[in-house]
Amino acid sequence: MNAQRLMALVVAIIISVPLMFPDGQSIGLVNAILIWSIFAIGFDLVFGVVGMLSFGHAAFFGVGAYTLSLLTMRMGWDFIPALGAAGVVGGALALVFSYFAIRVSGLFFALLTLALSQLIYIMAGTKLRMLTGGVDGIAGVPRPELFGIDFYNDGNYYFFLLALFVLALLISGLIRISPLGQALKAIKSNEVRAEQIGFNVQRLQRSVFTISGIYAGVSGGLLASLIFYVGPQMLHWTTSGDVVIMVLLGGMGTLFGPILGVAIFEIMREWLSTQTSHWYGILGLIFIISTIAMPKGIAGMIIQLWNRIMPGGKS
Amino acid sequence: MSTAAENSPVLRCEDIEVSYGAFKAVTNVSYQFKPGLLYGLIGPNGAGKTTLMNALSGRAQLSNGRVFLNEEEITGQSPHARTWAGLGRSFQITQIFAEMTVFENLRLAAQAHRFRLQPFWRPVGKFKEIADDAERVLSEIGLEGFGHVNAGSLSHGDQRALEIGLALLSEPKVLLLDEPLAGVGHDVAEKAVELIRKVSQGRTVLLIEHNMDVVMEISDEIIVMLAGEILAAGEAETIKRDPRVRTAYLGEEE
Repeated sequence: MNAQRLMALVVAIIISVPLMFPDGQSIGLVNAILIWSIFAIGFDLVFGVVGMLSFGHAAFFGVGAYTLSLLTMRMGWDFIPALGAAGVVGGALALVFSYFAIRVSGLFFALLTLALSQLIYIMAGTKLRMLTGGVDGIAGVPRPELFGIDFYNDGNYYFFLLALFVLALLISGLIRISPLGQALKAIKSNEVRAEQIGFNVQRLQRSVFTISGIYAGVSGGLLASLIFYVGPQMLHWTTSGDVVIMVLLGGMGTLFGPILGVAIFEIMREWLSTQTSHWYGILGLIFIISTIAMPKGIAGMIIQLWNRIMPGGKS
Repeated sequence: MSTAAENSPVLRCEDIEVSYGAFKAVTNVSYQFKPGLLYGLIGPNGAGKTTLMNALSGRAQLSNGRVFLNEEEITGQSPHARTWAGLGRSFQITQIFAEMTVFENLRLAAQAHRFRLQPFWRPVGKFKEIADDAERVLSEIGLEGFGHVNAGSLSHGDQRALEIGLALLSEPKVLLLDEPLAGVGHDVAEKAVELIRKVSQGRTVLLIEHNMDVVMEISDEIIVMLAGEILAAGEAETIKRDPRVRTAYLGEEE
């Protein structure tokens, strides 16, 4: 046992709650956690592994949601190819963003991605209103129809989402330990040296930004199908802010940390929103206190505690 | 009898100029670097030595001039493209991956050289060839037994050696070393000089160094810079006797 395995165990317990309590109200919450986790796992490849803070991921998330909705509802596509297309479109938009944004770094990168994503948000509400339904959005987004299983039942849909979540986690885990992942970590560690030993830094950044866009597009499509609705709010910069908070809260740069961050965020959102209409402000306050108390997020705190309890053990 | 290829310069620059606003850090520099020679680049602080190295390695934008590597023009190419073309370098301020182990540092340089597109479908540990490359250079730079150590916790001298190792893994034809002895103690400096001699075998090295004894001893040719220009160039003995160098650099009256 080490801290990584402990975190994996905690994640496994959280996501298997519907298996333990199949009739409980937890299924809807866990389904949302699985979808946001796919988003956060992909976002952390850019944010945690390479160290690029993007405030533009809402655009890929929202565009993925609209793609799935429009293809299934207006073009008559099946769910699975439409979900694939949501990923492709999310990734393609991320690639386009990267050509503009990767020229600058740090805060300028964050601001440029924010501006580009807000441009998409505004366009969705104005010029593209005929397509997107404007502020009303599009209601009635379908779920998959596979093997005669009723995925409109949340309990069944859970298994579909769980399979995609595990796949997303495995791919991200493999990327992190692959030569590509090592190269990305090298960029975060020392960009000058990474370039000087022969890494094409900008191409690597563009690649991972695109992969992250695919994750965002797929998760956006899945969320639209979970709530049967897509609206411009999914494109709004606050969605980017949410995923940044989730990853920071859980622990950036770790495989399981972002999932823990998503779980805490979603549970708080679910609970707080029933208590007060000012829940978003309170969530912000909790986030600020958490980052001061746990600068490396929940994952960092678990690793620290583990090392204290098991001195000399592997973290 | 030497062939034309052996005589042709491995690295050549023509009328290089690097400006920062009105200030010309390097101006009117043309030079031909022959294969297999060790060049010592000296000059007072602010003479433009590091800027010239930056211009050659693609880290400084030229306002004028051209650079050729093996007679192929590399002007305007990015630093990584120049590394692929055979130009390696170390920096005045040590540039390593401090949070990673020494072995991981070297393995990164090995994979950067081996793969144009970085594989993502297998763990890095499954690529034996890059691990072998890293191990080979680990012993070449005298850091056997330090592979598992975090690079940031190495001594300054060992970090400098690691930096040279990182550059070596790209199998450079030309190696640019920016003050590799800066800040290292006497004993370590001797080891470092040995390493420089070793890595200069069969390749062209351009070495910026303030330790005159070392430069004069190990360089085949010395290039003296002053105020962004090449003041003099030639063998050590010629340079030592050059009255312009003595006045401008060594501070002696003619």
